[in-house]
Amino acid sequence: MANYAQPEVLVTTDWVRDNLEKPGTKLVEIDVDTKAYDAGHIPGAIGFNWQTQLQDQVRRDIIGKEAFEKLLGGAGISPKDTVILYGDNNNWFAAYGFWLFKIYGHKDVRLMNGGRVKWLNEKDKSLTTDPPKITPTQYKVTETHLELRAMLPEVMDISKTGKANLVDVRSPDEFSGKVIAPPGMSETAQRGGHIPGARSVPWSTAVQQDGTFKSADELQSIYIQQKGVDSTKPTVAYCRIGERSSHTWFVLKYLLGLDNVKNYDGSWTEYGNVVAAPIEKG
Amino acid sequence: MNHQTRVYNDIFEMLPSEENPSPMVRINRMSPSPDFELHAKLEWLNPFGSVKDRAAWAMLREMEEKGEVGHGRGLVEPTSGNTGISLAAMAKARGYHIRAVVPNKVPLEKKVLLKIAGAELDVVNDALCPAPGLGDGSINIAKSHAKAQAKKYAMPNQYENEQNVLAHMRTTGPEIWRQTEGKVTHLFVSLGTCGTVSGTSRFLKGKNSSIKVIAVQPTEGHDVPGLRNVSQLGVSKLFEVEYKLAYARAMELCQTEGLLAGPSSGLIYEGAREIILRDKKGFGVMIFPDNIFKYTSNMMKHIPGLATGNEA
Repeated sequence: MANYAQPEVLVTTDWVRDNLEKPGTKLVEIDVDTKAYDAGHIPGAIGFNWQTQLQDQVRRDIIGKEAFEKLLGGAGISPKDTVILYGDNNNWFAAYGFWLFKIYGHKDVRLMNGGRVKWLNEKDKSLTTDPPKITPTQYKVTETHLELRAMLPEVMDISKTGKANLVDVRSPDEFSGKVIAPPGMSETAQRGGHIPGARSVPWSTAVQQDGTFKSADELQSIYIQQKGVDSTKPTVAYCRIGERSSHTWFVLKYLLGLDNVKNYDGSWTEYGNVVAAPIEKG
Repeated sequence: MNHQTRVYNDIFEMLPSEENPSPMVRINRMSPSPDFELHAKLEWLNPFGSVKDRAAWAMLREMEEKGEVGHGRGLVEPTSGNTGISLAAMAKARGYHIRAVVPNKVPLEKKVLLKIAGAELDVVNDALCPAPGLGDGSINIAKSHAKAQAKKYAMPNQYENEQNVLAHMRTTGPEIWRQTEGKVTHLFVSLGTCGTVSGTSRFLKGKNSSIKVIAVQPTEGHDVPGLRNVSQLGVSKLFEVEYKLAYARAMELCQTEGLLAGPSSGLIYEGAREIILRDKKGFGVMIFPDNIFKYTSNMMKHIPGLATGNEA
């Protein structure tokens, strides 16, 4: 993990195995497939459901400050804890959780490199169906960082002016408009295509075969040299609902160390539904 | 056990072997070339209804021999249907519980059949036929159950179990060699876990290295249950067929040859037909994995007219 701008935000599966019982360390699993946690999780890990616990249940939004406090307090997490997030699909929703934790100012949050699949396929790692023992806390959010989040007006402005990089992390077929969403996904849009001015850099470009992140040098070469992300400008990453783009947001901000990187969680399911918004295809 | 009178002491005695091979039937009206004798090996006549009887039995027997099942420990397996149905019926007949993890896109008939056969069903969002390795979906959910509850579940894991290949080296290959009296020149198969193609071709190529093994795969983004689109494999030829033809050819086999073959068989037939038009002479065997009965809902989706006119 050398050479990453902020290497402390990543831990290995071995580190997790060795620190499972350490006081002040809390594990949280967040999956795309919400059944995965129930099938088996890392001993002591709490499971968060991205659909019901990380999203506001009335309006389309991330959970508010009070709901975040209640969620973390109920999970027995304190602001001083080291929180390790992991999940399926190469940590898509774990990265989304990471972004949410950072928005609400949690200091020490890290991703388990490689996610649950790496852990699952290592012989010296165990899983359990036993629920974790939780002692609830009173979690208080003391600072918020909404500057990590891009909203539609800002994205429209960037698209028009080119004053920031727009990185579309979806698959090439979603970018071109051949499909609106990956097969089987229920959140979708009225139109296919991409935001004018966006560059296509699928999220998976950032990971190796085993699901762990590529080296800093490789990431630098991909995003900056090959794909032409201008490191002197701010950057906004988007996907379909904001989870894959959290993954790229994490890469750009913490592994490459770009200044001012935002996640546009409205993503294509917002933009692709906006009446009269300009769209590019192909 | 008597294969002449076909009287058996239990269903397992009916499983295919060199002495009791699954039938091979010649293609007549749909024969692509008069100089090319083409046969279909009807795997749906195996006792649990598909080619997967072979791998399922080999995996289960090995687990029994190693003492990995029994005393409350049953099975968990990721499956797009046929392996699960074979395994479930076998496991229940032996007294083991079984949990089947299936991709959502698997046809309704197979899901219900799995339950009828006695499996507890876990439906997950997944590709139609999951690729092995570090992907997510049904394989890893099954692995999670096996790892988290090792006392309750053992996982045969057809994707990584060498018995899946060995079963075909021991049975399918020798059966074909004997049934064709060594005349086989072309073997046509489809790809799921790749056990059939690997095991059968390994045996046959050991007998005659010039035998061509043609693996037929559906076009990407396909909708043919149980099959996989792969880009690299150690076969003579990987032949891609437009997946919708799988359904059209299955229908034609039903209505022209009296072979009630499923869509994967239709796909294999189309691949064979195109190769035979090019190679002209030879002696071919197609391994037809299963019959049409589990695919009525898929057929309705892909063959115009089947979905209408069914009500008074």
